[in-house]
Amino acid sequence: MELMVRKEENAVIVSVIGWMDAVAAPQFDKRLETLMEEGETRIIIDFKDLEYISSAGLQTILAAAKKMEEVNGEIVLLHLKDAVKEVFEISGFDMIFRVFDDQDAALA
Amino acid sequence: MLSIKLKATLANLEEFTNSVFEWLRSYDVSQKQIMSIELALEEALVNVCLYAYQERTGDVEVRCLFVDDDRFLIEIIDSGIPFDVCTLPTPDLKACIAERKIGGLGVHFIRKMATSIEYHRKDGFNILSLTFKAVPDRGTGMVTLRHNTGN
Repeated sequence: MELMVRKEENAVIVSVIGWMDAVAAPQFDKRLETLMEEGETRIIIDFKDLEYISSAGLQTILAAAKKMEEVNGEIVLLHLKDAVKEVFEISGFDMIFRVFDDQDAALA
Repeated sequence: MLSIKLKATLANLEEFTNSVFEWLRSYDVSQKQIMSIELALEEALVNVCLYAYQERTGDVEVRCLFVDDDRFLIEIIDSGIPFDVCTLPTPDLKACIAERKIGGLGVHFIRKMATSIEYHRKDGFNILSLTFKAVPDRGTGMVTLRHNTGN
């Protein structure tokens, strides 16, 4: 798994690339934690190039989202597709997070 | 039949899933179904790696075999503490972020992905049997091996 972080005017976009299993999820967790410690309150997670995610990745996102709510921040999901989208739907996460297919809309 | 037995540690997760991946591909199982099976297998193996042996170490074995023309069985076998995933409750999938519990999703994924699940405790072993109805590949494209994805 690779992570690419890009700061925009009113949000930071974290692109997750490859395969996020229970082995890779702690790296993602650490990155989100660092961004929150740096004061980011709006994180957009871009799944365009992610092929696979398991419960470990979802738990990381949920834990980060809980912390974000405490500071009136938000985690937003972008470009869910294929197997990754199915996992979000099965878990109900697509209903508790805001999900976008368009980056400009996510940034607005 | 495929049989692979390794130490129950997350460091071996990729070896398990890659072996099962290649076994499934050899039977022309579709890419979509392979992803579903990998998810169920990972969740089952992670449970064993994290909780089965507590302070000690132990092995976990994965066996894959076709039981008839269109159904195959994946068994996850360990000698850790008794643990029946079938008894765990389904998480509240409608709870908001603040109320949503962290954890419990793995077993939910196993239930959703497998056609049937059975658990047995026999001779000191946990045997989790996941049955899948095979969906053949309809030529929708080659499967991308996970080790080609940068992980």
